[in-house]
Amino acid sequence: MSEKTDPKEIFGLLARLVVAGVFIYSGIVKALAPAEEFAYAIESYKVLAAGPALWAAYAVPWIELYAGLLLAAGIFTRLSGLFTAAMLAFFELLLAQAWLRGLPVTSCGCFGSANSNSLAHEFMQNLVLLGLLWLALRRGRGLSADALVREP
Amino acid sequence: MISKKNARLAALAAVLIFVSTTAVLLARQLNLGPTRPAPDFRTFGPETAAVQIYEYTDFACPACRHAALALEDMLKIYGGGIRLTFKHYPLGSIHPWSADAAAYADCAGEQGKFREYGALLFEGQENWGQAKEKPAVFETFARKLNLDWGKMQACAAAPATRRRVTLDAAEGEMKGVNATPTFFINGKRAVGGGQLLERAKSFDLLLKKAH
Repeated sequence: MSEKTDPKEIFGLLARLVVAGVFIYSGIVKALAPAEEFAYAIESYKVLAAGPALWAAYAVPWIELYAGLLLAAGIFTRLSGLFTAAMLAFFELLLAQAWLRGLPVTSCGCFGSANSNSLAHEFMQNLVLLGLLWLALRRGRGLSADALVREP
Repeated sequence: MISKKNARLAALAAVLIFVSTTAVLLARQLNLGPTRPAPDFRTFGPETAAVQIYEYTDFACPACRHAALALEDMLKIYGGGIRLTFKHYPLGSIHPWSADAAAYADCAGEQGKFREYGALLFEGQENWGQAKEKPAVFETFARKLNLDWGKMQACAAAPATRRRVTLDAAEGEMKGVNATPTFFINGKRAVGGGQLLERAKSFDLLLKKAH
């Protein structure tokens, strides 16, 4: 960051770190729990059958963790930010279809099985995260590996 | 061609991914993952007890039967100092009816008699553990305890009940359980009744520290 830091840059950096933190937390919580648990939550969205849901449950927590870490460290910030945004948009689609179909989703699977809010709550929360991500992509390049690593 | 800057960033990303993967896998091995709560009927003792025991058990396993007797004694001796939580870990490959037994025990628990039904399953395990067809004793035990057998059958077949048993086993696998009984006593692993008794030697000290 420049010596006279623009407040917008600070907000952008904070936004990037918040979204990254949410993804890191969500990934770790699920990666430490049995995949079957998360798979059951995925099944309740009635989009995937039990088999593919289990494969998704094995993969998604790690993808969330890696995306969050890359975003936090500011490695390929634009790419990792866009990837995170794509994930959030996909989650929004899943939540919206379950919400519209009135599916009895008791655990959204967002942060493991321990905590779960209503689908509407999670949908709104993801919208806020998407907003923060937009801010991070526009102004959140400060304190990033992208800025620190230079061409030799 | 990849620029040197991008190559450096990619190397940094690889290091980050490697370190985080190793840390999470290590945390799993060290049993740092969250433990799923068990239903109240499978938990005995106060929540604040100084000695917290999680037992991964299989009703058809002879060593689990012996351990269950030892645990009964411990609960009597240490009273409110111990909290015991049962987790199902049916060894389906050698005990074909263990998962069913676990489901029936949970359903007996929903009618307030998990412990009693579990005791009968352990006591009569020679009669059903290796049965070729579905053992009739599941019903015999239920009737002996005046349980509603119709309700138990419906409950044992319910996906939620089966899921609970499966998730217990999956959690056990993540914690590296591969033999029954396996205990986690205040987070420390003990496998078999011998190790349980060995750990029990420190219970007095733990209880003293708590007071």
